[in-house]
Amino acid sequence: MRKTWRLLAVSLAVGAVAAGAAACGSSSSSSGSSSGSTTSGSSSVLVGAGSTFVAPLVSQWEAAYVKTPAAVTITYGAVGSGGGVDAVTARSVDFGASDAPLTSDQVTACKSCVQIPWALGATTVDYNVKGAPNNLKLTGKVLADIFLGNIKQWNDPAIAALNPGVNLPSTHITPIYRSDGSGTSFVFTDYLSSVDPDWASKVGTSTQPTFPVGTGAEHSSGVIAAMQATDGGITYAETSYIAADNLDYALIQNAAGQYPKPTNSAVLAAAAVGTTRSDGTIKLVDPPASASAAYPLASYTYVIVPESSPKASTLRAFITWAISSAGQSLGEPIGYPPLPANVVSSNAMLIAKIK
Amino acid sequence: MSSVVTSPFGSPSRRSRRRKMVGRMMEALCTLAALAAMAVLILVVYAVFRRGASALNLNLVTEVPSTDAYGNTTGGIKNSIIGTVIITGIATLIAVPFGILIAIFNAEFASRRTADAIRLVLNLLAGVPTIVVGVFIFGLLVVGHGYSAYAAAVALSIVMVPIIARSTEEVLALVPAQLREGGMALGATRARTVVTIILPTAVGGMVTATILAIARAAGETAPILLTCSIFANQVTLDPRQAMGSLPMTIYLDAEQPSQYAQHQAWAAALILMAFVLVAAIAGRLLSLRSRRRIEQTR
Amino acid sequence: MSVQPATSSLPLTRRTRFGEIGLRGICGAAVVILVVVIAMLIWEVAHGAWLSFSTFGLGFITSTDWNVVTNQFGALYLLEGTLLTSVFALIIAVPTAIAIGLFLSELAPRVLRTPVGLMVELLAAIPSVILGLWGIVVLGPFVATEVEPWLNQHLGFIPLFSGYPSNAGVLPACLILTIMMIPIIASISRELFNSVPSELKQGALALGATRWEVMRQIAIPQVSGGLIAAVMLGFARAIGEAIAVAQVIGSHNASPFGSIFKPAATMASWIATQFNGTATDLQRSSLYYLAVILLVISLVTNIAAQLIVNRFRKRIGGRA
Repeated sequence: MRKTWRLLAVSLAVGAVAAGAAACGSSSSSSGSSSGSTTSGSSSVLVGAGSTFVAPLVSQWEAAYVKTPAAVTITYGAVGSGGGVDAVTARSVDFGASDAPLTSDQVTACKSCVQIPWALGATTVDYNVKGAPNNLKLTGKVLADIFLGNIKQWNDPAIAALNPGVNLPSTHITPIYRSDGSGTSFVFTDYLSSVDPDWASKVGTSTQPTFPVGTGAEHSSGVIAAMQATDGGITYAETSYIAADNLDYALIQNAAGQYPKPTNSAVLAAAAVGTTRSDGTIKLVDPPASASAAYPLASYTYVIVPESSPKASTLRAFITWAISSAGQSLGEPIGYPPLPANVVSSNAMLIAKIK
Repeated sequence: MSSVVTSPFGSPSRRSRRRKMVGRMMEALCTLAALAAMAVLILVVYAVFRRGASALNLNLVTEVPSTDAYGNTTGGIKNSIIGTVIITGIATLIAVPFGILIAIFNAEFASRRTADAIRLVLNLLAGVPTIVVGVFIFGLLVVGHGYSAYAAAVALSIVMVPIIARSTEEVLALVPAQLREGGMALGATRARTVVTIILPTAVGGMVTATILAIARAAGETAPILLTCSIFANQVTLDPRQAMGSLPMTIYLDAEQPSQYAQHQAWAAALILMAFVLVAAIAGRLLSLRSRRRIEQTR
Repeated sequence: MSVQPATSSLPLTRRTRFGEIGLRGICGAAVVILVVVIAMLIWEVAHGAWLSFSTFGLGFITSTDWNVVTNQFGALYLLEGTLLTSVFALIIAVPTAIAIGLFLSELAPRVLRTPVGLMVELLAAIPSVILGLWGIVVLGPFVATEVEPWLNQHLGFIPLFSGYPSNAGVLPACLILTIMMIPIIASISRELFNSVPSELKQGALALGATRWEVMRQIAIPQVSGGLIAAVMLGFARAIGEAIAVAQVIGSHNASPFGSIFKPAATMASWIATQFNGTATDLQRSSLYYLAVILLVISLVTNIAAQLIVNRFRKRIGGRA
């Protein structure tokens, strides 16, 4: 009997030590003590995560950058902007990507991270309605009413008024939105809040807004898939999906009353009149009427990098390449017009902060 | 089987006929229920086989995923297959020793009350939702260190240990007492008896338990979702890195709009399900055989 | 199972004594580590939930908000979704599973018992993510185009069956949970029915009972304790299912009692979809709070099931 108790005491001691060691290991972790934790320590790999908006472009960069003399392999997880910010805050990735500027909470949590706009793109409103043609015209207010649940059917008078002569079916409208933390949701709700005070008070702007009606799905790919499976579905995602999946998309009226298609030039027109927010990021949605050809739902998308990183030089080199014409030219065919020159030059200062 | 007692419900033969009819109806319902369950199983398995087989080609298992110039998914799932093997392998290496040692403790060294308490703890652990296990390991191993195959393996091993421990304890209990007593009578210590006599007799059952636990762990998605979900589109062999896995690939590809990605999901589902079903069948058949064998030693 | 050793009368050499201590020590250490891991699990999850718990207290359970913009979080709709989907699945799964258990232990020709039993267990082995994939591609559209319109047409006056058909919603989630719970409860019930002493059954038959009456009046009451425990275990499994539910339920924070055609969410599916991308610390902590609630429910259910089994075992004289 005594032997058993002695053995149990020893085992308990061993177990306690093990638990203590594990607990110590985990408690010191959140203060960013990861040095090269995500990889074997070599800087020939960069791991990133975040925005699905920029994911098609990052894929192109992945394929091209590994062939450059730098020969760095980029791993990117398209988990959504929210996930990207989370991951880079926890230092479980080398860089995060988000279409939404960091909130003040996130800035504090990330502990000196720099956000650099590294691509320019557009969010389009895509729909799947049997019997309705492509390029239906919608205004921002009508779009807000659809996603608020005030407009329930495709042949609603408000939609019919904007599309005279078009035969609209009576199909029920199913708004489909991003259920995960999404920069695209931020851009979309930022636009709706700008054009509809009702939306601003009821829902507001966020990466994870509480949509009053509809179905949630994860990631841009998820909302597109859900929309394709739902007759009457409408959702929002980046431009590249239109060509890739042959989608019907809506023409959104801008402040000048025009209905521009989300082409590269329309996005660049919006970028030319962007306004700077208090946190230094640039807002491109709902451009003023002076930009008559501007697409109303354009946005920059950001790469978020810790200012002090064990892979600083690799990161600086990669981001510099990505915002250069070499990187940006890969985006032009798939809906990401090149960054304006002034943004590229102001980025240099931000990139220099990464040490 | 006619009732011989008269009753106010009518003549005995009529009442017995009614009882027989009710009986047969209920029996038919039970049979229907069993057939319905089998039908669902066949439906699902058939769907996976049909869609998966049509998508399965050599490319799928020899290439890694990639995106073409238009942003469409192409390529294969080689990295996920290898990733599942590595993650499940490490989880097995962790879980099997723990499970067996706990079972031996319960069967050989613990008093009845302690054994009951440990069995309760094992049942509680088995009942914890796998998403909560994922949340736990996320806080413990992922925060600050990143997603890794190790974290996923540890999370899966937590799911596997109760399965292995419970089944092993059952098998150890089946070993006849004569073998134990015989060993003692020959002067062997408890430890030696366990290691040289009891364990070899029970080894069939332990193998079965391991196979069933592997089948279960290979299909778990929730723990991997929170510990190893951002991974490279290439084969990684280093467990300190994140790597792909079949459940994550299915989960992520299932929601993709592109037909190609959906095909990939079905193909991955086919591979995973074939593995799980084969392991489950093998486990059950082995367990029947090893039980018969142990009973023969009585 | 501890046969206390008739301690050997031969003197233990140092080597054999070391082997003895060694084995006992390692086994004991493994058990201790098991307990430590569970303690760490509870601590880690509770620690993460602390921020949310101290902000909202128990009001979290009665609040319906989940708003990242205003930083208000509440679990009521998620709780409703969890309960509705699990109870619905239980209502369909339990009678079906008991029927299958009876079939496998009493009705099936002996030759079929092993193969059919194997098939039922294989259904339990199908990974939930594959069921979810099948749910997205096959079940969801089928429900939206056939089942929901039919329900709406014939039972649409009940609010639960009102609304516009959708292929992502509560109903597909309920059906998938049903499919997952049936084999779990069925295999336990089969073992229970197999354990009913044959003397009881023979006696009843000899007294003139039909086979069904034997099942209903002898077998089921005999194993009722075990059946209740099996149901509770199935319930615990259903509320914890995150992946398959997340794939088909539509991830919408709304009350499922409005209509089972509409999208909703359960606590487990909400954690799965939101965890990898929270915007605020309070949101992340609220997800941990959900995990705590799930943990508490599963622990309580499992303990209750264990108590029922123990009492039931005592009642029939200690037979397993």
